[in-house]
Amino acid sequence: MKLLIVEDQQELVDNIQAYLSRGDVVCEAARNFAEAQDRLISFTYDIVLLDLMLPDGSGLNLLRLLKRMNPETGVLIISAKNALDDKIKGLELGADDYLTKPFHLSELNARLNAIFRRRRQQGHKVLEHGCIRIDTDTREVTVSDQPITLTVKEYELLLFFITNKNRVLTKQVIAEHLWGDDVDLLDSFDFVYQHIKNLRKKIAIGGCEEHIKTIYGLGYKFTNR
Amino acid sequence: MNLIAKTTVFYLLVSVLVFGIGGYVTYHVVETEVIKETDFALYDEVQDMADDIRDGIPLEILRRRRASIEHLGDHLQIDTFYRFTDTIAPHPYREGETEPYRKLEAVKEVDGSFYHITITDVFIESDDIYDVVVEIIWRLFLILGVGMLIASFLVTRWLLTPFQRILSSIRGFNIKQSEPLALPETTTREFRQLNAFVSAMTERARRDFRTVREFSENASHEMQTPLSIARGKLELLQETQPLDQEQLRLIDDAQTALRRLSKLGSALLLLTKIENHEFRAQHKIDFSAIVNACIDNFEELAMLRGLPVKRDVNPGVKVALDPTLADVLVSNLVRNAIRHNQEDGAIEVYLDHEGLVIRNTGASPTIPTRDLFKRFRKNQQSEKSMGLGLAIVKKICDTNRLSVNYEFQDGWHEISVIFPTNV
Repeated sequence: MKLLIVEDQQELVDNIQAYLSRGDVVCEAARNFAEAQDRLISFTYDIVLLDLMLPDGSGLNLLRLLKRMNPETGVLIISAKNALDDKIKGLELGADDYLTKPFHLSELNARLNAIFRRRRQQGHKVLEHGCIRIDTDTREVTVSDQPITLTVKEYELLLFFITNKNRVLTKQVIAEHLWGDDVDLLDSFDFVYQHIKNLRKKIAIGGCEEHIKTIYGLGYKFTNR
Repeated sequence: MNLIAKTTVFYLLVSVLVFGIGGYVTYHVVETEVIKETDFALYDEVQDMADDIRDGIPLEILRRRRASIEHLGDHLQIDTFYRFTDTIAPHPYREGETEPYRKLEAVKEVDGSFYHITITDVFIESDDIYDVVVEIIWRLFLILGVGMLIASFLVTRWLLTPFQRILSSIRGFNIKQSEPLALPETTTREFRQLNAFVSAMTERARRDFRTVREFSENASHEMQTPLSIARGKLELLQETQPLDQEQLRLIDDAQTALRRLSKLGSALLLLTKIENHEFRAQHKIDFSAIVNACIDNFEELAMLRGLPVKRDVNPGVKVALDPTLADVLVSNLVRNAIRHNQEDGAIEVYLDHEGLVIRNTGASPTIPTRDLFKRFRKNQQSEKSMGLGLAIVKKICDTNRLSVNYEFQDGWHEISVIFPTNV
């Protein structure tokens, strides 16, 4: 996946690059409007990560430019402004998703992968991990070629794990991914464990080995074996 | 009592004093003048008599009422003199009454003969002078008083009108207004000075308020970027190997604290924006739809906490409110009802054209319920809560002509938002 990060905060760019470079993502960065414009004109990207507030221009104008030149490129807007107007305008202009700062890098990764999958050609929308195979178009999951039935939450959970494999996912991050920001209304995230337990059971039915490793008291990690 | 009334009363008191002294002085001046004039008249009469005697008119003819002439003799070695005295004589018409007279007693020499002449004349009584003076002074005082009342009325009307206008301008001043305070033009120097002072002061207040407002807005906003960076670094740290259980938990705790801080920043920013009236109700929105959508959003979380949500939402309730604010308002109330609930509790939401009522079970509040609307005031048991949710609700209601009440009764917390009736 070829990604352009348009963001004026170098530290934030470093974070994103460091996190994503562990996967198969090629990251480039533009620190301002002019630089981003140059890069968008010269190269094509799979996804552009776009901060709306740039020191020398509005990210929305970059979005218009991009959509005129390369409508195939996916766009994920990141903004410190949680303004509904910006969100709606961005999505209307053709952005795929909107993420408000501050965000979890694992959440960013999941969203980027979701956009990437959606925008890829037919036949490339299948995720495979060991004996697990997910068709993201039909939402069908097979384990060792046996179809298994997952609930919506279990499906999303599995997808989240696979896109963030080998990374530590705290219960908080998982809960926020599945139930949104308001999840801290709940006293504990024990219900996350329920979903994990069910998911493990269903994967085990297919005769697959254990993928979800528990980090006691903290969270989970999806590993290769 | 206003300034002009006070001035008028003061001037009236001064006039009483002035007129009193004036009356006293007038009385004496008039009395002195009357005596002088009477004496002149008497003196002239004596001179006339002397002329008449010189002309050979017999004394019998010259003698008359209140005038006596005696021939003392010729070539006497005595001094001639004039002596004025006050005397009292019987009243000419009224029996038994006396009247003051002025008497001139003179010894005069006419062509060598000496005569003793006595003339009396009616003297204007000091009582009469007194009466006249009092009468005049009283009338003058009356005219002056009436004049001053009319003048003070006119002065209030014409002279102080600019002042009243300035006052009402100041009264209408709002520190949050975007325009400088408009003060009425005036030609009076004092009022111009007042205007200059007031506009400088209000301008400064407005500027300071704007600075504080911008600061809190910028601070809450700028805070998010470093927070974002810090959270990202912690996530990266979480990925490094090897990390033991304890280290991972420390990272997670730090994440939790940062998450709280970032939510706090967003909440404060939202409060500032509401205060700045950045959300304007353009038109009426379908409040029922917003309430339903909001409950749908939270229903799953409520179920996860084991809280059934009972709702009775009348369709088609319209309220003039910004849609974002409406969503924030309802979300905060529902969030509140979920957070401050108890085991096996329940939530009830009612909406009709009069208002929105959200009820939830929960422990009794540790502080008075109306205090829960204040920033950072919360019940002791709510550790996760920031104490800003209800402050935001209150602020939204205050800026949009909605009233909000919080009651606790029989284990139920009830928050009602009442819509304005005149719509």
